[in-house]
Amino acid sequence: MNPRPLTLRTYLQSIAAWTGLWAGVCLVAILFGGERLWALPSGEQVRGILAIRLYAVLTASVVGAALGLAGLAFQALLRNPLADPFVLGVSGGAALGVILSGIFVTVIGAPLFGFVGALVTIAIIYAVAQRRGRIEPYTLLLTGVVVNAFYAAAIMLVNSLVSPARRADVAYWMMGSINTFDPHWPLVGMVGGLTIATGVGFAFLAKGFNLVAVGEDTAGALGVRVERLRLVTFVAASLVTGASVALAGPIGFVGLICPHILRMAMGPDHRRLVPASFFFGATFLVLADLATRLLEGVGGQTPPVGVLTAMAGVPFFIYLLRVRWRRASEIR
Amino acid sequence: MATGIRNPVTADSPLAAGPYLAVRSVGFAYRRDAPVLRDLSFDVQRGRLANILGPNGSGKSTLLRILVGLLAPGSGEVRLGGALLADYPRAALARRVGYVPQETAQATGFTVLETVLLGRSPHTGALGFEVPGDWYAARQALHLTDTEPFAERSLDELSGGERQRVIIARALAQEPELILLDEPTAFLDIKHQHAIYGLLRRLVREGGKTVLCVSHDVNLAAAYADDLVLMDHGHVAAAGKPEEVLRAEILSPVYEMPIEVRKDKATGRPYVFPRPQA
Amino acid sequence: MRHPWLNLAASLGFFVATLWVAGCGGTAPPPDSGDARDLRILSLTPNVTEILFAMGLGDRIVGRSNYCTWPPEALAIPAVGDTLQMNQEKIIALRPTMALLITSRSTVIGTLEKMGIRTVALRSDRMDELLVSIRTIGRETGRTEAAEALVGRIQKDLAAVRDRVKGLPRPRTLFAFPMTVGSAQMMVAGRGTFVDELLTVAGAENAFPEAANWPAISPERVIALAPEVVIVNATGDDAAGDRLEAIRRAWANWTTVPAVASGRVHILTEPYLTIPGPRVGLAAQKLAEVIHPPYAAAGPQEGAR
Repeated sequence: MNPRPLTLRTYLQSIAAWTGLWAGVCLVAILFGGERLWALPSGEQVRGILAIRLYAVLTASVVGAALGLAGLAFQALLRNPLADPFVLGVSGGAALGVILSGIFVTVIGAPLFGFVGALVTIAIIYAVAQRRGRIEPYTLLLTGVVVNAFYAAAIMLVNSLVSPARRADVAYWMMGSINTFDPHWPLVGMVGGLTIATGVGFAFLAKGFNLVAVGEDTAGALGVRVERLRLVTFVAASLVTGASVALAGPIGFVGLICPHILRMAMGPDHRRLVPASFFFGATFLVLADLATRLLEGVGGQTPPVGVLTAMAGVPFFIYLLRVRWRRASEIR
Repeated sequence: MATGIRNPVTADSPLAAGPYLAVRSVGFAYRRDAPVLRDLSFDVQRGRLANILGPNGSGKSTLLRILVGLLAPGSGEVRLGGALLADYPRAALARRVGYVPQETAQATGFTVLETVLLGRSPHTGALGFEVPGDWYAARQALHLTDTEPFAERSLDELSGGERQRVIIARALAQEPELILLDEPTAFLDIKHQHAIYGLLRRLVREGGKTVLCVSHDVNLAAAYADDLVLMDHGHVAAAGKPEEVLRAEILSPVYEMPIEVRKDKATGRPYVFPRPQA
Repeated sequence: MRHPWLNLAASLGFFVATLWVAGCGGTAPPPDSGDARDLRILSLTPNVTEILFAMGLGDRIVGRSNYCTWPPEALAIPAVGDTLQMNQEKIIALRPTMALLITSRSTVIGTLEKMGIRTVALRSDRMDELLVSIRTIGRETGRTEAAEALVGRIQKDLAAVRDRVKGLPRPRTLFAFPMTVGSAQMMVAGRGTFVDELLTVAGAENAFPEAANWPAISPERVIALAPEVVIVNATGDDAAGDRLEAIRRAWANWTTVPAVASGRVHILTEPYLTIPGPRVGLAAQKLAEVIHPPYAAAGPQEGAR
């Protein structure tokens, strides 16, 4: 009856297909972009460059997957197609945490402070926006906007108090930093593990996402513990966002664009969307990073990846507002 | 009884012989100073179509949400099949009780078939994959509600009446024993109102379900329901068969206006005529 | 007229006053080359301040930029901002007769000249430009002998270093600033810059092959360039303990770079390495010591402050 039934076999097949796509894109990104590998004289140099590119590709994959998952989760929970980790101010909190750690403690302690910043933000948003254990979607979004404004001001204040050299550091970092002179392999591993765990967890919550999207009463009546689903998903999505910010700075719009493109292509079923967001988010950011490396030489500098995602994201956001928001305004 | 229920009721317990749904002295308040339900008690027998009536603000929807398990009663207890409602794990409850809420259509993009399959959630595994049994139950539900022709269409494209039938199909796909509906005919025209109630009666008579419906349309309920429960300010004003409940002396104080009751000669059921002061 | 002489005097006085005011609004007249008493110098670039002090003109400086911090005596001079943001009121209060700075921004020069200060814009992108600038300062301030002496001293210092490293193999050396945290860019000295010339004097070959001012390069480029020696100049904030440690740690990652593999990555905190001024000899000396360790400082430096 259904042209595409969802069974274990089709699920695993689609995961295999996604993995293949992602791996293919990674291979292209490793071999191309930047210095021409076959023009280098020594094998050692080739190895060195491959190591750089592998780091960039892995970082981009992990961060892209994390942001894709977080964006999908926020959109499902809030039943708002414009929700995204950055709209909610979670990445702003993580960014402020990382910046403060760089200034007051040390550059090395940054990731921990990123986590703390994201978690504090979640706690604040949850405490402010919830009433009698329920969170109204619009209240949450408004809280996010206010929180974002606060963090932007705080970061500007911190920036104005530090030396000009540090200001350049912060400015670059805020635009996303996947390629770096200071690779943090252990951090990539940690964030990668967290992201994969979150992906698996969300796969088991996907049924609940579908039901919550239809309505909270319906979801509750069909066996979903809505408030618990909300809390768990919210914390997990924020944690994985904070982790990716600590790794590569705040990169915007991945969590907005990827789930939407997928929804347009494969429908609203979260059982399919969760693994797709994971892999497509990863692939998307790897491609964006490859694009920045290919654009090197135009002006001599590589554009930061956050600039590229913003340039893609803003027109997309406007398109969403104009075309699809009319339908989404029926969502309560 | 099914597994997973805390304090299950065995077949020889006196509770098992009682009413299928027993509401005892239930009270509920959203805010401390404004109770919505007060000392509410009534029974629903198995295999009957029961309808809850009452003016606006009598607490009907709140009661229904308590019966589905979305709200916990502030006082009193609710028993389903003898066991306390609170003792049922959520998923187990969802396998016995189907709920058709009063929700506006969500623009989610699901097709009719996908929507009905959502009703299989309490039965599908952790990752939510469907098995042939799920397809069968969904097809049955579509068939019963006469919505098979729309299976591949998006839910948003349907009319109000068609959409309502699909939501009922979704509840049916749960393969529940008890179906709770909140104002299922509120925005439908006459033809569809009767179609829905006709379906409900068929589900009871032929499908062996127990149906509890909340509605404000007195005559419609009178025409189809086996039992009526009349609520007034969070309390049961009268319960029983339609001819017992629908009497002028009972209805007029509850609805706060003169009401005349006659018998419909064709069906033998009571028919209500509100007589507002001119 | 009742008082014709009064009228004539008033008219003449008015006429003279007008001329005087008109003269103030325009460019100031060139200085009297011999009159050192009138010399009030506004020095807006750090190396100009160093040059002035080296020429014995330190007491003639009435105002400096915020960044002119060497020699220590300079700190006693009032600071008036920098070429981006000048405190014009302060400048006027100091009544300088001449402004010396290194800039190519005509707006800055125009602003100073409108304030009636004779402005001399100098260049020091290359060694020969530095020497020309010193001589220009000598001419403008009437201290030509001091200027020549300084030029001679600098050339002697540089020649001394050149001799010391003559005949030694010239390693491919990269001179870089610390990498920007959070980006994959690092500024290095290109060919044709002042630092590039210092590297040549110090007996090295710039690993970066193209003529460029201070290009920003990526890690891949660093690997492709494969420098044998890397010099990182960390000054100011970057010289803080934990930051130096972070820079060291970051560079230690790039084991495929020959300089890293052989332990020839040097993080230097001396600020004068990139300031084209009297301490150029010191800079060349320091670079030579680092690049050719067996030939560390073999004799006292003369004259360079």
